Amino acid sequence: MKDVYVLAFESSCDETSVSIIKNGYEEIATVVLSQMDIHASYGGVVPEIASRNHVENITIVIEEVLNKSTLTMNDIDLIAVTYGPGLIGSLLVGLQAAKTLAFIYNKPLVPVHHIAGHIYANNLFKPMRFPLIALVVSGGHTELVYMKEDYSFKKIGGTLDDAVGEAYDKVARVMGLKYPGGPLVDVLAHEGKDLYTLPLPLDDYSYNFSFSGLKSAVINLVHNEKQRGKEIDNKNLACSFQTRVVDILTKKTLKALKEYNVDNLIVAGGVAANKGLREKLEKLCEQNNINLSIPPVRYCTDNAAMIGAAGYYAYKLGKTSDLDINAKSNDELV
Amino acid sequence: MINLVIDTCNSNLVIALIKNKKILSIFNEQLNMDLSTKIFPVMQDVFAKAKISPNDVDSILVANGPGSFTGIRIGVTIAKTYALVLNKKITTFSSLELMATTKTNKKYIVPIIDARREYVYAGIYDEKLNKIMNDCYININDLLEQLKNKSYIFVSYDDFDKLETINPELNILKIINLHENDKGLNPHEVNPTYLKLTEAEMKYKNND
Repeated sequence: MKDVYVLAFESSCDETSVSIIKNGYEEIATVVLSQMDIHASYGGVVPEIASRNHVENITIVIEEVLNKSTLTMNDIDLIAVTYGPGLIGSLLVGLQAAKTLAFIYNKPLVPVHHIAGHIYANNLFKPMRFPLIALVVSGGHTELVYMKEDYSFKKIGGTLDDAVGEAYDKVARVMGLKYPGGPLVDVLAHEGKDLYTLPLPLDDYSYNFSFSGLKSAVINLVHNEKQRGKEIDNKNLACSFQTRVVDILTKKTLKALKEYNVDNLIVAGGVAANKGLREKLEKLCEQNNINLSIPPVRYCTDNAAMIGAAGYYAYKLGKTSDLDINAKSNDELV
Repeated sequence: MINLVIDTCNSNLVIALIKNKKILSIFNEQLNMDLSTKIFPVMQDVFAKAKISPNDVDSILVANGPGSFTGIRIGVTIAKTYALVLNKKITTFSSLELMATTKTNKKYIVPIIDARREYVYAGIYDEKLNKIMNDCYININDLLEQLKNKSYIFVSYDDFDKLETINPELNILKIINLHENDKGLNPHEVNPTYLKLTEAEMKYKNND
């Protein structure tokens, strides 16, 4: 069979990324330009600044990926691009660049849902086995997805308020940690003990998550202790917070695996890099004979390689689009 | 010599193909809200009507602002990506300058774009498109002060309570004549000219 090369774009938040992926699993070249340092001074991603930086970076990233790969545009079979969800102004830059190449070279354009990309990041690391449950955890998402086969997505649960990574960053801020503080909370949690009393987040029969109550409990606790003139032990607080988060994430994930009678679990998204979550899932999956796949950290954060992997399977199913497709800040994975 | 002209900054989208100073095909209509979905169908149409394929283009002229932030980014992203991968010459021009190609009998032509809260993006041009005042983001009253005792006319797509304006009548060839000998730019350095910091940047600056 002829090899299929995908040129993929991802610009949904604050990373400008372009990648070339062969046959849906082999990474030929990927370039990611992160704006994290720029947004750090504002304490979070500023959408208009993100859009402005994407425009400045986009051709630099395209050129670099082509140079790294030794391929030319003529070798490329299709263009894949994140169309949503994400920041609309940011999405538009990647989408227009992708459309420009599809227009100039008359190549098929394949729009990819950002979450489908995160899930398919696993395919770059080892072949995905179906049926599977995907736990997608990031700064913008907390979702449980059931996949019967390639590119069939059934969302079975999601967050009702804050995404898990968002809750981490907000808790980090109240603890006085620099943005983005989520990963630092993970580090501190490993040095502390679960000694603070915090509520377990939404623990019902659904697969939905809610982290705003837990987040508010942490914020209130910090304020109350401050008023009493007491020092907060950040390590112990991080540990208590992380323990509650990891407990509910793993509990509902395990329930989904049992209910759908699935023994393959993949974890995706930026929070998949969280050590506390990884350790607990590894233990539980071993105990329950579940095949666990968590991609390396560089595939967990936003990147175009994952969009190239997903784009290949979408293309095989004929999911191409005309050049009039719009970016969508909110769109369900179907 | 085939030029591709793109202006996505204003309420009219302008896409034109010009061969040896003759317009082969042009789109110049209002579709502001639908820009991101309609621009490629429009491009396909303009190229088809001109019977030109993308690789036939020798040089790209793109308006890099001022105007709608999203609009500017769409045009600039398309133009710089196009120029990079096909190794075409690329130069920029001002969206206000294009509006200033409108023929009038006044000495000064003042193209303006509504920037809200009593502010506009404006420039002052003469009939040869010399810049009498550089493009800027300016309070309407300050602009009127600049124009005191001058013979001028406002050109705009937007409606203003206080100001009398005429609609732009674009003369693309004037832009070609003015910029055909400009030095080609590195596509990486073709970026929007917003003329205005983001609110976050302004706040950050003021806190320093």
